[in-house]
Parts: sequence; structure tokens; C-alpha cells
Amino acid sequence: MSFEDLNAEARRIVERYEVPKAAMLPVLWLVQESRGYVSPDSEVWVASTLGVSRSQVREAVTFYNMFHTQPVGRRELRVCTSLPCRLRGSEALLARIEESLGIKPGETTPGGEVTLTEVECLCACEMAPMAQLDERFVGPIEAEAAATLVADALAAPGSPDSTPEPEPYISTDGPVLSARLGNIDGTWIDAYLADGGYEAARKALTSMTPEDVIEEVKAAKLRGLGGAGFPAGVKWSFVPKDSPKPKYLVVNADEGEPGTFKDRYLLERDPHALLEGMVIAAYAIGSHKAYVYIRGEYFLSAKRLQKAIDEARDHGWLGADIQGTGFDLEVVVHRGAGAYICGEETALLTSLEGGKGFPKLKPPFPAVSGLFACPTIVNNVETLSCVPYILREGAARFLEIGTEAQGGTRLFCVAGHVATPGVYEAPVSVTLRELIDRAGGVSGGGQLKAVVPGGISAKILTADEIDVRMDFDSLAAAGSMAGSGGVIVMDDSTSMVSALEAAVDFFADESCGQCSPCREGTGWIRRIVHRMTDGRGGADDLEALLAIAGDMEGKTICVFADAAAWPVQSYIHKFRDEFEAFVRGGQASDSEADVA
Amino acid sequence: MPSLTIDGREITVDDGSTVIQAAEQAGIFIPRYCYHPGLSIAGNCRICLVEVENTPKLQIACNQPVSEGMVVHTQSERAEEGRRSVLEFLLANHPLDCPVCDQSGECDLQNFYMSFGIYDPRFREQKVKKKKAVTLGPHVMLDQERCILCSRCVRFTDEITETGEFGIFNRGDRAELGIYPGEVLDNAYSANVVDICPVGALTEKDFRFKARVWYLSGAPTVCNGCSQGCNIDLHFVLDRPHLNDGARLVRIKPRYNPDVNQWWLCDEGRYGFGWLDRDRLTEVRGPSTGTDLTEPSWEGALDAISTTLATLGSTHDGNGSSSGIGVIASSQLSNEELFLIREVFERQLAARVIASVPQKKGSCDDFLIQADKNPNTRGADLVGLPGPDSPDASTLLNQALAGELRALWVFGHDLVELLGEKSVRQLSENLELFIFSGTNRNPTAPFAHWVLPTAAYVEKDGTFVNCHDRVQRIGRAFPPLEGTREDWRMLLQLAERLGLTLEWREPEEIFAALGEASRPFAQLSYETIGMHGAEVATPRNGAEATDP
Repeated sequence: MSFEDLNAEARRIVERYEVPKAAMLPVLWLVQESRGYVSPDSEVWVASTLGVSRSQVREAVTFYNMFHTQPVGRRELRVCTSLPCRLRGSEALLARIEESLGIKPGETTPGGEVTLTEVECLCACEMAPMAQLDERFVGPIEAEAAATLVADALAAPGSPDSTPEPEPYISTDGPVLSARLGNIDGTWIDAYLADGGYEAARKALTSMTPEDVIEEVKAAKLRGLGGAGFPAGVKWSFVPKDSPKPKYLVVNADEGEPGTFKDRYLLERDPHALLEGMVIAAYAIGSHKAYVYIRGEYFLSAKRLQKAIDEARDHGWLGADIQGTGFDLEVVVHRGAGAYICGEETALLTSLEGGKGFPKLKPPFPAVSGLFACPTIVNNVETLSCVPYILREGAARFLEIGTEAQGGTRLFCVAGHVATPGVYEAPVSVTLRELIDRAGGVSGGGQLKAVVPGGISAKILTADEIDVRMDFDSLAAAGSMAGSGGVIVMDDSTSMVSALEAAVDFFADESCGQCSPCREGTGWIRRIVHRMTDGRGGADDLEALLAIAGDMEGKTICVFADAAAWPVQSYIHKFRDEFEAFVRGGQASDSEADVA
Repeated sequence: MPSLTIDGREITVDDGSTVIQAAEQAGIFIPRYCYHPGLSIAGNCRICLVEVENTPKLQIACNQPVSEGMVVHTQSERAEEGRRSVLEFLLANHPLDCPVCDQSGECDLQNFYMSFGIYDPRFREQKVKKKKAVTLGPHVMLDQERCILCSRCVRFTDEITETGEFGIFNRGDRAELGIYPGEVLDNAYSANVVDICPVGALTEKDFRFKARVWYLSGAPTVCNGCSQGCNIDLHFVLDRPHLNDGARLVRIKPRYNPDVNQWWLCDEGRYGFGWLDRDRLTEVRGPSTGTDLTEPSWEGALDAISTTLATLGSTHDGNGSSSGIGVIASSQLSNEELFLIREVFERQLAARVIASVPQKKGSCDDFLIQADKNPNTRGADLVGLPGPDSPDASTLLNQALAGELRALWVFGHDLVELLGEKSVRQLSENLELFIFSGTNRNPTAPFAHWVLPTAAYVEKDGTFVNCHDRVQRIGRAFPPLEGTREDWRMLLQLAERLGLTLEWREPEEIFAALGEASRPFAQLSYETIGMHGAEVATPRNGAEATDP
């Protein structure tokens, strides 16, 4: 397709944004989807279309992993080799796929059928080991499924895929978040309205002041469920009331923390709960424009949310003068393009503004000066999806479900070596042991060795540390963190050295490279750990790793460097004997086998 | 106006100041790579970490707003440990190729390692390989391995030149600095990125492998490339002729002046210095007398010239009519020299003097570069000499061509370019006395009866007035080339021979006399002008115009 043909669509995209540069990612997606990859002449066209320098376009193209700068195959097969998938055999799977296709990651089959890509966590750990064929998630890919997947990848264009739809366990019994997650084709507006949907929004818009809404959410002690756990109502109250600037609500749907896959189910199966939460939040902070930043790999999530937005607009729940109340709210879906760091709220804003996903310096804080230098509130999908419940059932009811400091439930994601990986809604006071039990306990008759309780960044817990409640404060007191609610379970066959290798690979791949301690530290750590797993480690490497990790902590713009340091510190501290034995005489080949 | 304490020193700073600015005010240096006062705050290098009491984490001084009662430690154990670790990260993948790096000796990786680092290196891994010796444009070379990704250059081309050439591509430890493939870094200010690069990633093509920086001497002056008068430092070498093909001047660096050029300098000014060491006139030449083949001395020349001038000067009637002497002075000359020309030629010899000749307008922009490529057009105007746009300029040249002048002194101009060779040959034949004084050979010099080799502006003291009415000292970096003489000295010696009693012996004294004679320069002295210049008193800036 020629650039001339793309001009009209590009103009329509640019119009959605306050500044043309903010259309960087959608315009690059437009180019890639219509031309297969982002060629140099495409970069030049994008630069002139958006009025930015070519270097700025190239910065974006080379920063976000999903953009191709070379021609690729008709299909793309992304194989996840992040920690949760590695625990369930992704390395062997990748090797098998490489052998079947006769290519290595980054290469395209000679016939141009498929490009193979090795990727970091696709946040579908409930179906590990998994892969993504074009837009579709496939998994678990065990035994014969790999051959079927390869056949699909090589099949003639247009032929239907033969790999089955994944059927992981997903909570459906609520009470707050999961009641409608059983609708695998999505809960659309008629069903949502029949369930009493949008009544909470009606209540807020017609009978509450914005302050009332904020007070109610504060009273419910709703904490930010993206990982930081900051009280949502308090955050909303930081937006300056007297600012003449527009205010923005930004939804963080850039789910990326390895071990986490809850937001995808909310987006795909109950999108109106999120939209209703957004209407209420936007009303509370005085925002009339909201963006939902969805990670690039969540193709289906973006489509379903867009469908829900269109429905809501048709029913008068979005757009101008919502339900005749005089309140306006426009919602724009903005797709990422492959960068974990964009889940960090200020990196998300820089990315949304069209730049590389570089976290912003604080101060100023987003509530005062965020998106386009205007007051901005960034909330996670799950956080906002709790809001309709709070207004409908009351803060007291929400608080009652949780602990004294954190109301409600969470969608806990349980992955790794458990019998039934999946999404489990539970009160935040549930213990880690109870969650693992609900997921059927350790799979395959193994014994529990270790658990990461809140996504890969959280410090690891040993088998005898799992009688801890899963709320933010209890896990912090236990020396770890609730994080994103991603529970990664490891049985006694797991090599902690290989598990650490998976973790450090992730952080080295995903460091944005802005701050020197993180950029250099993540790469440095990766090289030491790989040297160790290659059988060339030494006793002093463990001290070096701990020292480097310690030096990275607390010195960077965002907490990514801290998150990269914590696995290093906690894995070595808690499994010191294993690490020491490994560097004394460990054979690389043994440990590789052990990780699965 | 909050007060804070830094390392036990209490200071009060302006509202909105950051800790790094406050520390600077208190005379405490906090190391920095990404921070540059002329650019936006990036906060990525992390070397400026300081300890702020009652704040759990170390904070970067460049982005930490000062608040009342804040207590900051830059030398506490935590702050020093923070800096040390940041430095170790920055050096982890650095190639340490200092022995072949032009930045060596003025590199902030070296400097800060010595001041804040000194650790036992622990990095034993293979370093990340990137591109070296990449030509970015006519003036700038890139070494990606040396780059610490501070993004100063990216912000310079984004924010100052708004040309956007630079980018940092890829991410994590694969991130690398570059310009867009196929593009050339050739904006009019491109070499400034070399100045602001804190390490050896961006180096000057022109300076490449020429000299170790510790062999260079430095002296402050003002660029003479246009009427903006950007402040510069000259870096030169006098005692190691093997280093720079015998040329004294090695490179020019911009010198900070908040009112003129901030931190910046255009490439045209930076690289326009070749003439200082090339094709210079160094010998006095007189009219050929047939048999006498010995070169005349400066003294002999001034004796002969003054005798002729005195004769011509005494023939005028004293009623304002011309003496038949014409002088084409130059707005390349200093105020002091132009004032002497006014005193000697206009006042004493009743010569027709113009300060310049019409010239083509040069390139210009809305930042620093001015179309007038003379550094002192405004000074000549304020001294009271008619400029190139005055009717006198054309009158004088027409008179000269029509044979109505008997003597003509040309200060440095190339009349051949202006009038053509034929006319200049005609002038040479018509005139009784035709003097060319100047620094460099040009097509006009051969037609002059006398050629007097003069010192370049960096070889003498004096002042220029820039196009914004700021008078600035040009300084004297090094002595005049052997055989050459400063214009002011030559003019004083001429005056003495003409019987004029002038008591001034140095440019500073001439300037003081100029201040007494000319209102714009009143109340000013070399001391009050200082390093950053001072505004002259003109109607433009609200002063009365009349001379005292």
C-alpha cells in the first residue's frame, strides 16, 4: 500500500491526539500492518506526517520490540521464554520449533512463510509453555501441540488454524471482579446492563459530587492493583481542582509483569466493568478524555475494548453529555508495541506522547503534570474494574471483604508448577498457601521449593514462607511484595540458577536504558549469570552479583532497577548453598535440564 | 527565596532553584554528565546523587528543587558511595581507550574517576561492542563505545538548533547514539555537541589526533567572524611546532557569556581561523626604487610615509575641505585603532576616512549568526567614522578612481574584489601614495606602494562593539608574528612622526581617551568591561547621543 493511500487514515489517527507526535505508535502500527515492516522510507514518511525528526521515529522503531525493520514472513510466531514459560518447558519447545522450521529466532523460513521470534513474557503464563501465532495466543504447547502449531505457522494464507483454543482455569464466581469472566466471547453491553451495569456510574453522575466519589473510594481502601498498591482514592485527590488545564485519565492496560495475566481477562471478557469504572473515575477527577494503553501483544483485548467503547457510546455511556447529565468522556484505545517498561506509569505517559518508553523525572508527579504536561491519573485495569462494585455495594462492603488496610479482592494469577494454573479471585487476605492449594497444589507430585508471590520483580519466598497473607502490607512485612498478583510456583526440580537466569534475561532485555545504573547493571548481571550457567562461574561471582544489585538499588528514575536487583538478591540469599555448589562444580547442561 | 544547608554551608537561593544550582552558588561542585545549564533536565546519568536529609533515597541534584530548611550532603558516605557506584556502571562498558582518545585530559570520566571514583574495578565480562570512528558530518566524529548516553547532544539538536539529527536507538545496554542513517550532521552549530559531550564520544574532526590537550594554552577573546561577537577561548601551542604543522592556533572553543552566545558558537566562527597562521604578511615592502633591493624597515617605512602624509596634510586650507588623503579603515579594527585613525587622519590630516567598504551580506539566522561579517561595524559607527552605507564611502572610492585623491591608505580590504584589477592598477598609477596595511596577502597588496604587515586581532589588546551595542575586550592571546605590528602601535608611531602629542602608550589608555572623547564609551574601562563585556551608552539603550 502506498503512503498516499495511508495519508487519510494517518490523519484520522492524528486527530485523536492532542499533539501529532502522540500518534507515533498507532501510525507506526498502520505502516507495519499495511506494509509488513517499517522500512527506512516509512520512517521518513512517518516523520513528515507527524512533524518530528527522523531520528525520533527511528528511536521509537528500535525501542519497541514489535516493530520490524526488515521484511518478515507472512506470519509471525512469537515463542515466550520468560520465567513462567521456562518453568514449563519453553526452552525445549523453542528448540523443537527451531528444528521443525529450520530457522533460529529472528529468522524467516526460506519460503517466507513465518518469522520466528523469541519474546519475553506475553502474560499468558496460565497457558505455559505458550506462543503467539500472529494475534492469537496458543498454549499449553505440549507434545503434539508443537507439531500442530508449526503446521499452522507454515500453512497457506487463509487456512484455518488447527491448534485448539486455550482453556485455562478462570474464576467466575466473583464477588467483585470475576462474575462475568465466564463469558469467553466477552460480556457485551446488553448482558452487562442486565446485570445492573452502569448503575454505579449513574449513581455517581446523578447523585454524588466528585468529592463524594473520591471519599467513597478512599473509604473502601481500594489499592492500586497494578503493583504499587497506592490508595486509589488518595491518588485521585491529588489532582489540582483549580487547574485550568485539561485533566486526563489514563488506564494502564500494559500488562507485562511475568506471571501476571488478569487484566487481559478483564479487557476481553468484561470490558464494560472497566469502562464504567473509568466513567466514575473521570467524573471524580474532572477528566473528559481518557486513554487506555494496552500492550501491543494484546490484539484481541484492544479489539474487544474498542467494541465495548462503541457500544457504550451508542448507549449514551460515553461521548458527550452522558445520560443527559452534561458530563462528557471520550475514550481512546492506544496500543503499545512491545516494551515492559511502559507499564511504569510515567514511561507509559512518555510512550503515549509518542516517545520511547522512558520513565519521567519526578517531581513533577503525573497528578500535577503528566500527559501533555496536564494533570493525569494513571490507574490499572483491575483497580478501575473494582470501582463500580464499590459504588454499587458501598465502601463498607468492599472493605469488609479485605483487610483493615486494603479492601476487596484481587485476581491472583497462579502459574508455574501448579496443577491448575489460572486466574483466581480471592479476598486480599487469602494466604499464599491457600492460593497454591486452590490451584491444585504443586503439579506432577513434586515438592514446593519456592514461590514468587507478586510478579517476577517480587522477592522470592521459600516453601516455608507461604503462610503469608497476600495483601500489600502483609507481603511487604514478609520481605517481598504483592506486586501485580502474579504467583509463580517452583517445585523442587527447579534450578534456582536457571530461574535466576530467566529473571535476569528479562530485566536486561526490558531495561529502557535511560539511567546508567540500570542500563549497565542489568547487562552486567546478565553476563555474569550466563557465564555461570555456561560453567565458567567462580565463587566471587556471587558476591559481585550481590554488590552490583545493591549498587543498582534506589539510584534510578523508576523502580525497574530495584526490581531487577531483588531477584538477584533474594534468589542468592535464600538459596545460597545451591548457588555456591553450582559455581563450585555445577555443569551447565545439568541445570538447563533442571529448569523444566 | 528559600534557604538551605549544603555540606554545612547555609545559603539562600532564588525560588525554583535546584540543588545543583544552589551548590554552584555556594561554590560546591557536584559532578554531572547529563546536566547542562543550557539544556532541559534529563536526569539519566545519576552521577549527581546527593543525600537529602529526611529523604530515604539519594536524590539527583539536577532535578531536586530546593525547599526551605533542606539539608543536603554531597560528601556523606552515602552520597560518595552512590557516585562511586554510578561511575563504576558508566565505566563498565567504556572502552578505556584513553591513550588514543582526543578527549583525554579534558574528559569527565577521567576527572570524576580521580575525584569521586578510585575503586577496584570488578567488571570482568566482555564489553558491549559498538561502532567507532563514525563520521557524522564535516566537523564531528562519533565513537559509540565511549558514549555514556547522557543525551546532551540529542537535547542540543532537539532544543537549541531544532534540527533533530541525533537519537539514541535501541534500548537497555544495546542503546546507542547516532544520527539518522544517511543524514549528515551539518547544521550551522554542529560542533557544539563536541563541547558539551562530557566524554570522548563526540570529537572534532579538525582536532583529531592533533595534540594532547595538556599541551594547549588558552586565552579568552571574542570571535571576529561576524557582528555577534561570540565569546571564545583560543587554544594554541607556541612551543611545539611539530604538533600542528607549525600553526599556533589549534582550536577555538565557545566561552560562556549569558548576554551574547550563552555556551554556543557557530561552526563558521569556530573553523574560520586558518588565516591567522596562513598566508600572513610578515615583511614591510616599499616602492621599488630600481637599484635599492634591501627591504625597508618598519621605521624607514613610517618615516617615509609620515613625511609624505605631512606634506599632503599641510596643503589643505583648514576649512573642512579635503587634504587629498583618503583612508579606508576597517570594521575589523578595534575601537582603539579606529579612534586613533579618527584622531590622526581625520582630525590631524583632514583626510577623508571611511570605516568600511560596501560588502555582500553574509548568511545569517535568528540565533547567533549575523549577516555583517565584521566584528566592529557598530564600534566604528560609535567612534564616529562613516560606515559603508554612508555617502562618503562611494564618494571616496569615486574620488580615488577619478584621480582626485593623492594618497590612499587601505586597511586590509581587497579593492580588487570591489573594483576589479584594472581600476586598482589605475589607482596605483594615479596615486602619489598608496598604502596597504593588513594581516594577510590579498590581490590588492601587490598594487600598493607600501605594504605594512599588521598583527591579527588575537595578537593585540582592544575592544569591539557587537551588533547589540555590547563592548567586549578581545584580549591578546599571543604576541604578533615576527615582522608584524599592531595597528594601534603603528598609528601611535605615525602620530609621533607627524608631531602629534598623544600620551597613550597602550590600548587601555587609548580606550580611556576614547571614553573621554566619545559619549558611548564614557564611564567604561577595561576593568568594568570585564570578561563578559558591557553595554555602551547609546540612544538604542536609552542614553543620550551627544558627544561630551
